[in-house]
Amino acid sequence: MSQIWKYVRVTPSGGRVRGVPARSSTTSISLPGTPDHLSSQSTLILRFVMSIMEHNGGSVVAMAGKNCVAIACDLRLGAGAQTIATNFEKIFPVTDRMYLGLAGLASDVVTLREKFRYLTNMFLIKESRPLEPSTFAHLVSSTLYERRFGPYFCEPVLAGLERTPSGSYKPYIVGTDLIGCLNFAKDFIVTGTASDKLFGVAEGLWEPDLEPEDLFETISQTLMNAVDRDAYSGWGAVVHVITPDKVITRTLKGRMD
Amino acid sequence: MECSFALTGKDYVLVAADTTSARSIIKMKIDEDKIKTLSPHLLMAYSGEPGDTVQFAEYIERNIRLYHIRNLYPLRPQSAAAWIRRSLAESLRSRHPYSVNLLVGGFDTADQSPHLYWIDYLGTMATVPYAAHGYGSYFASSLLDRYHNPDGTLEEGLATLRRAIDETSKRLIVAPGKYMVKVVDKDGIREIEL
Amino acid sequence: MNSFASRFIASSAENEIRQAKAMAEEEGLTDAMWGSDAGFGSLVTGHAFNVPAVPDPSAFLRLHTDDHADPNCKIKIQHGTTTLAFRYKGGVIVAVDSRATAGSYIASGTVKKVIEINPYLLGTMAGGAADCQYWETYLGIQCRLHELRNKERISVSAASKYLSNLVYSYKGMGLSMGTMICGWDKTGPAVFYVDSDGTRLKGDLFSVGSGSTFAYGVLDQGYSWDMSDEEAQELGRRSIYAAGHRDAFSGNTINLYHVQEDGWKFIGNYDVTKMHYEGPGPDVPGAPVGGYGYDVRTHGRFSVLPTAVPA
Repeated sequence: MSQIWKYVRVTPSGGRVRGVPARSSTTSISLPGTPDHLSSQSTLILRFVMSIMEHNGGSVVAMAGKNCVAIACDLRLGAGAQTIATNFEKIFPVTDRMYLGLAGLASDVVTLREKFRYLTNMFLIKESRPLEPSTFAHLVSSTLYERRFGPYFCEPVLAGLERTPSGSYKPYIVGTDLIGCLNFAKDFIVTGTASDKLFGVAEGLWEPDLEPEDLFETISQTLMNAVDRDAYSGWGAVVHVITPDKVITRTLKGRMD
Repeated sequence: MECSFALTGKDYVLVAADTTSARSIIKMKIDEDKIKTLSPHLLMAYSGEPGDTVQFAEYIERNIRLYHIRNLYPLRPQSAAAWIRRSLAESLRSRHPYSVNLLVGGFDTADQSPHLYWIDYLGTMATVPYAAHGYGSYFASSLLDRYHNPDGTLEEGLATLRRAIDETSKRLIVAPGKYMVKVVDKDGIREIEL
Repeated sequence: MNSFASRFIASSAENEIRQAKAMAEEEGLTDAMWGSDAGFGSLVTGHAFNVPAVPDPSAFLRLHTDDHADPNCKIKIQHGTTTLAFRYKGGVIVAVDSRATAGSYIASGTVKKVIEINPYLLGTMAGGAADCQYWETYLGIQCRLHELRNKERISVSAASKYLSNLVYSYKGMGLSMGTMICGWDKTGPAVFYVDSDGTRLKGDLFSVGSGSTFAYGVLDQGYSWDMSDEEAQELGRRSIYAAGHRDAFSGNTINLYHVQEDGWKFIGNYDVTKMHYEGPGPDVPGAPVGGYGYDVRTHGRFSVLPTAVPA
């Protein structure tokens, strides 16, 4: 007689306490006042953090092209399975040549957007010089690490053009985890509830030295196809393509389910 | 269980909240007003953890009033909503966060436009043409997607609101019995009998 | 394995299955017999399913499949769904979505959630996909046998009662089904709600699944007994769209069926996003001009949204 089930004895704890999947340095973060010594406890905390990160849904992707960068996000704001609004943009302008995308807890998306707007303005007033992406990236990183033990539940993505000493511009994209670990990339950065799906599609579609129009097509197709496989992202999208002399912003019609 | 609904028209915002105050399985009060008047053209329906709700609502009410006294003009709806959201977001990371969900509706007298904001206890804010909190939102949101008319008359708005409340009463086991309805428009705030 | 005493302990389903399994083993039934009867061969000797040899089989199953308690669990069973069925003067309308999710991953957008039991009976699928598919197919076999034995078609009431009794005998074993058995018999159009708790309800209008509340919101408000066929079909389609739009775990496409006196008819498959932007189209009777979507429906009218998404 064939066996559908393997006759294995599993204790209740055997199924629940298992190794923490190491995805990033954030896997061992703890909340204030919660000891992080027990592996079972950190697993619980991780699960808690993951559910916060997924509560509102939403995804962001950034890509580098030839003399240009692109950044795109979906428009859903959810509360668990329920969709609350389909006009929630997650990408904000920092300077004329730099946009910041924030995916994660919607409350922190707005709080961080406000905080970074304040910090950017203060920088410009105090320093009276242009804010370059490489500078801002470290501002983002240190702002997030400031909340190391009670983090903002956001994973930012930064896309911009960095001015070189010769006066030309070079693409600059960077992402961080929710406590500010910088992750530089030559190709693309993904974050949000559809990040695993975005990785797959982006790996397949991205190629080096894309012109602005081709980069727009690539990032749009990547985002649309990835969020169509994610229950928590989608409901329309916004794409920004940043070139040295202008930013092209387009709203995309996406699946509305 | 607590339910609140709100919807906008071309020149008004309608806000409805149930009027029951419950403790475990007991209705302690059936005519509680859970919609605060924050300024002459600003309303806020609140629901959530008992105790937190009134404490938070009064804190907001007093501070918006203070702003009005100090500056001789009230905060506009957009700014008020942004400040209220920020208060909740900051409270979330305090030792004792307020568990309060809000619908903030206002009429901006500067440009004669209605505004509605959906805000939850996490400090999430959405700008919406219609909104609901509580279990009623599971029935009302799709219904409002279908029936809401963004430039309908007040009568039309009330009829749509009645649909949402009727549907909730029909399907929700723990549906509240009575609602209080308020409207804000260019003439200010008044209560409406549904 | 099968102690003498266990044969005489209380007649719980679990014990009966263990006994049936033991009997099948004793009678030398082999795996080969499964294929010869389209997978239902084991039913000759009672429902012989293998059960894990643990003290509490359903707790064991739950441990490995309940992704609400443990999002990292290895076995993901399809959960999110919106299905609806309602009765009106012109028959029964059955409408369902087609999305299958495993956690947040949309595993499929082309699931058939209406099971065609026979030309006069339809069953809907919510909960465990395999449970619904298997037992409603099995119900089809029993309905045919009833027809052969009694020279008349089984009533919807009897068919649903058969299913209800059957799933009730497995209560506590982890079956997960929320289904509507719909059809037309001597009494006219009929809809029964049957679930794996053992609940069986006769009624005019039901919706089941994670998106059911959203569907009810539109369905209740548009429903009346005296609707025309076109209006009824439109209402079914519009209600599933509403759920697809608001519920993260419902969507992709709508499958619409209409049951009349001469049996069921498949009306069509409709893409939810196409319904949002364009609607069913001018050639579909009863449908409005333009899309169902709020932004699309109210395009050009006043908007409170600062940056209205272009329709």
